[in-house]
Amino acid sequence: MNTRLTTLLTTFLTDRGSPFAIRHILLRYAAITLLLATPLAWGQSAPISGTLGAVGSDTMAGLMLRWGESLTTRYPDVKLQFQASGSASAPTALVAGTTRLGPMSRPMTSEERDNFIERYGYPLLELKVARDALIVVVHRHNPLRALTRQQVDAIFSTSRACGAEAPIRRWEQLPATRDWSFGRIALHGRNLASGTHGLFQERALCGGYFRNDISEHPGSSAVVAAVGESANAMGYAGFNHLTPAVHALSLYNDGGTAIPPDEAAIQSGDYPLSRYLYLYVNLPPGETLPPAEQALISLIMSDEGQQIARASGFVPLTPSVLNAQQRW
Amino acid sequence: MTSVSANSASRHPRFSRVNDLWPWLCAASVALSLLMLGALLTLLLVRGLGHFWPATLEEITLSSGETFAGQAVREVALPQQDGDERLYFTGNQDIDGVRWRWVAIDEIVERAQPTDLIRLDRSPWGDFIGRLVAIEQHGQRWEGDAAWQQLATLLKLPANQRQESQLLLTTVDGQILRQPLANVVSAQTPNAMAWWQKTFAWGDAVWRFLSEGPRAANTDGGVWPAIFGTVLMVILMSVIVTPFGVLAAIYLNEIAHQGRLTRLVRIGVRNLAGVPSIVYGVFGLGVFVYGVGGSLDEWFFSDTLPSPTFGTGGLLWASLTLALLTLPVVIVATEEGLARIPEAQREGAVALGATRLEMLTRIVLPMAAPAMLTGVILAVARAAGEVAPLMLVGVAKLAPQMPIDGEFPYLHLERKFMHLGYHLFDTAFHGEDVQAAIPLVYATALLLVLIVLVLNLTAIFLRHYLRRQRGNEC
Amino acid sequence: MTPPRLSSSRQRLLQDRVATGLITAGGVGVLLAILAIGVFLVWETLPLLVIGDTLALAKLSPLAWGTLKAALAALLFAIPVALGAAIYSALFMSARLRSRIKPALEMMEAIPGVVVGFIAGLILAPWVERHLASALMLIIWLPLSAALAGLLWQLAKTRLRRRLPLSWAGLWLVPWFVFMVAIALWLAPWLEQHWLGGDLRQLLDQRYGMDYATRNALIVGIAMGFAVIPSIYSLAEDALADVPSTLIEGAQALGASRWQALWKVALVAAGPGIFSAIMIGAGRAVGETMIVLMASGNTALFSASPFEGMRSMAAAIAIELPEASPGSQTYHLLILAALVLFIFTFLVNTLAEVVRQRLRRRYRQIGGTL
Repeated sequence: MNTRLTTLLTTFLTDRGSPFAIRHILLRYAAITLLLATPLAWGQSAPISGTLGAVGSDTMAGLMLRWGESLTTRYPDVKLQFQASGSASAPTALVAGTTRLGPMSRPMTSEERDNFIERYGYPLLELKVARDALIVVVHRHNPLRALTRQQVDAIFSTSRACGAEAPIRRWEQLPATRDWSFGRIALHGRNLASGTHGLFQERALCGGYFRNDISEHPGSSAVVAAVGESANAMGYAGFNHLTPAVHALSLYNDGGTAIPPDEAAIQSGDYPLSRYLYLYVNLPPGETLPPAEQALISLIMSDEGQQIARASGFVPLTPSVLNAQQRW
Repeated sequence: MTSVSANSASRHPRFSRVNDLWPWLCAASVALSLLMLGALLTLLLVRGLGHFWPATLEEITLSSGETFAGQAVREVALPQQDGDERLYFTGNQDIDGVRWRWVAIDEIVERAQPTDLIRLDRSPWGDFIGRLVAIEQHGQRWEGDAAWQQLATLLKLPANQRQESQLLLTTVDGQILRQPLANVVSAQTPNAMAWWQKTFAWGDAVWRFLSEGPRAANTDGGVWPAIFGTVLMVILMSVIVTPFGVLAAIYLNEIAHQGRLTRLVRIGVRNLAGVPSIVYGVFGLGVFVYGVGGSLDEWFFSDTLPSPTFGTGGLLWASLTLALLTLPVVIVATEEGLARIPEAQREGAVALGATRLEMLTRIVLPMAAPAMLTGVILAVARAAGEVAPLMLVGVAKLAPQMPIDGEFPYLHLERKFMHLGYHLFDTAFHGEDVQAAIPLVYATALLLVLIVLVLNLTAIFLRHYLRRQRGNEC
Repeated sequence: MTPPRLSSSRQRLLQDRVATGLITAGGVGVLLAILAIGVFLVWETLPLLVIGDTLALAKLSPLAWGTLKAALAALLFAIPVALGAAIYSALFMSARLRSRIKPALEMMEAIPGVVVGFIAGLILAPWVERHLASALMLIIWLPLSAALAGLLWQLAKTRLRRRLPLSWAGLWLVPWFVFMVAIALWLAPWLEQHWLGGDLRQLLDQRYGMDYATRNALIVGIAMGFAVIPSIYSLAEDALADVPSTLIEGAQALGASRWQALWKVALVAAGPGIFSAIMIGAGRAVGETMIVLMASGNTALFSASPFEGMRSMAAAIAIELPEASPGSQTYHLLILAALVLFIFTFLVNTLAEVVRQRLRRRYRQIGGTL
């Protein structure tokens, strides 16, 4: 039946004059494609299409890319184009109107919010999309299990703004590692331009200054890899880069309990260096989002989207947080 | 003294023993360099190509009674105690939360290689290693060998047509997983495969690496967009650099007055070949991107400002920067070719009444053409391996849109692009998990080195051929 | 060859004028574009220099030190190896072997820095950290084993010597080295246990208070040395091979041994060429970006220890400049770093080029075959 239809179509389309061979073949090919494609197109209800643009956090690059991949498997015509140039680039792009979606690994400052309101007259929609944390890691065989805030500060900073009395330079200075005979603590961290560097400085060093002998790596995974290779190393990195090659230390909270950086503690916020990851959306009040954006957000808020966040090494949101954002 | 050499060295008289050792140290330098080069290339070849070979899966029983399955990756010594530990890739990140496991070798009681171990490549969770129990589809259920056959047929269908199917899997320690088949990319039982099946699987994996785009945020999949970006950028660059380089060389060699100034300029051009590439990158960023690109945006794309069109790194600026970087290479090579042409040829042409233009286009340029070609190939080889300046002027971690597509104007010069060298750097340092990325990094490095070496070898042979030919002519 | 078809001669002359003008314009334009690099760099750093911002300059000084340290480490490794290889292949190696080995060694230069950096930073550095004693022992052991090979060769029977001539030693020493490396790696842990009391790193730390960073000057030296060897080798070899053979033969005729002729005559005659080769190598080492970025740890330290890291200007530019907003102080500072690199390499290369040209003229005067 198929061939009959094709010939019919072909003769119909080439009714004037004798068909040239190439034209003939081309048309036949087109007709077959048409026949094959029709049932597929019918099978899908209300196709969503378009290219989504997002500009923002470098930390969330992997996560956004995976969400984009999953979105494309759901709706083959939707593509997510993500420009990872740091959290600070998201507010600029949102104000400029070049994107409607701004993923950020920190909440917006009030100044950034005001800039947007000044331009558009309404506030941005703030969505929490996952939870993340900064971890302090040591080699997997290192007996050290927990550090106080002051100890972290004494190890990584010169300023000791969190109130430690003396700098800690050697493993013998920590009670847990008195027998860890590897001499000086080799420090690893991120480079100046990264948000991780800034956040660690602000939250773990109490705003103080880093030591200048920290090896600065261009990526968190490079930090983890370096610490996993040397027994005398300690470093800080994003939680999503944790591998069994290193051990993530528990941190003492203000109440004096050591909180391990596990999923539960990060999800609840008990772990001192945990944070939300955000997606800022430019949505005028009373309007609804275009279907492609809508599809992305419902994917993120769905169970599948949160599983993808977990697969990328982040921590899913609690059901209560998800429910609070349920209207999206 | 007994140190009279017996062979070619017999020309020179006897000399003392200590002095006799110096030539050996010099010979050792050559040997050492060769050894390092050989070791590097072998390492890249073995690790880069070996990654695609279906690795044997082991089922490990520990002295604690625990069992797990995985692929042995490497061994290192334990710190502060005797013995080694081994790293296993265990996959199953959705079940265990991790996909690596370090085990002290002393703790291992049994290493088995059961043939029914299966390795699934899935998206989003990565690899699964365990056993296949059954396949369920529309209420039907296949088990045992039938399940295998069904899996093989189903995997040939596109992903959206196997949405209804589910795999019932168990890990070796007995945990059960229901895996929707739509998320499975490929399946293998490496322990049951014969060597020829493995060879096919290997060829298939290499092909997928070369022809597919990256998956799972650059931790998996192929490098096709990076190959494409590298090649396109290099082509654009040679289109820019060839005419200008040749023009400058002709000017310097044929037209300019051969005085002190020309000599100085020539030295200057030669030296630019030694200026660090990052300096060119800085120039490209400051002048092309911020200067020219910024102005272009203000004049022609003001409606999209402040989001930049040309005022940010992109294909065009990267090609221009690298063209500037390789300009000295082309100029020097072309000049060498021009200088080799005997003066008699030029004089003869002019004596027969040709103008300078005719002399250049009909006599000189055809004779210098191979030299120009050598120069361009050398330039291409240098540009293909250069990464540092690109980090400033337009390379991207992941560019979802290719710089060439069906959208008007088809070639998008303002788009960012992927580059093999930067892709290597990015996966090795920025990725989610360095350990997982390293095999891919090896493969990418091998590919990059191969491309650059082939280009260089072409240039060397071309030059060799050219010299021999010239030698016959003169 | 067929004579050019003579069209109207005035038109031809006009064409010629126009073409010459175009070529001149194009050539001068290209040269000006190249000049623009320097102008741009100076222009962008003027704000810093005019204010005389000493704080900014103070920020740059550890980077400058890091750059020098990395380059020095690389040259310490590269110069002996490259010069040794150049002497051997110019003066001892058989012609057939030389025509193969020289392109092979020059091929080393083509290996992209990012590949060398990856191997050095992610593979070599952790290995050396775990096997520091073995690595250091190799550095001493390899020259010794070369000398050992020489001694054994002299004691060997004539037939064996004919089989394994010195002129092919560059090749057949490779398996010898593989064997020797294997022996060293096998012996090193044992030696470390007996002579150094278990762990060399602990010894360094306790007795000398030396710190050990995974990515350090030693690693950078080896990796960047690897990248610099071919450029030094290639130029030095050219200089040595170009020494007129009459010079060496003359010296030998006057009673000098081959080694004396080499040491006192050839090396002296090619001295300027070798100097310029080293200068070019230094220029390359100073500007190499990816290797230092990936293998140095990027710690902005003032330390001379070979086991501590450093941060070079080129690496700092590569990671920090894309994030620096144009016009900010960091931006100007990084461009100043680029200017320093530019001026330094330009001066070094010019010096090398001038010396080389002078040398070439001298050979011509001596009456070489050139």
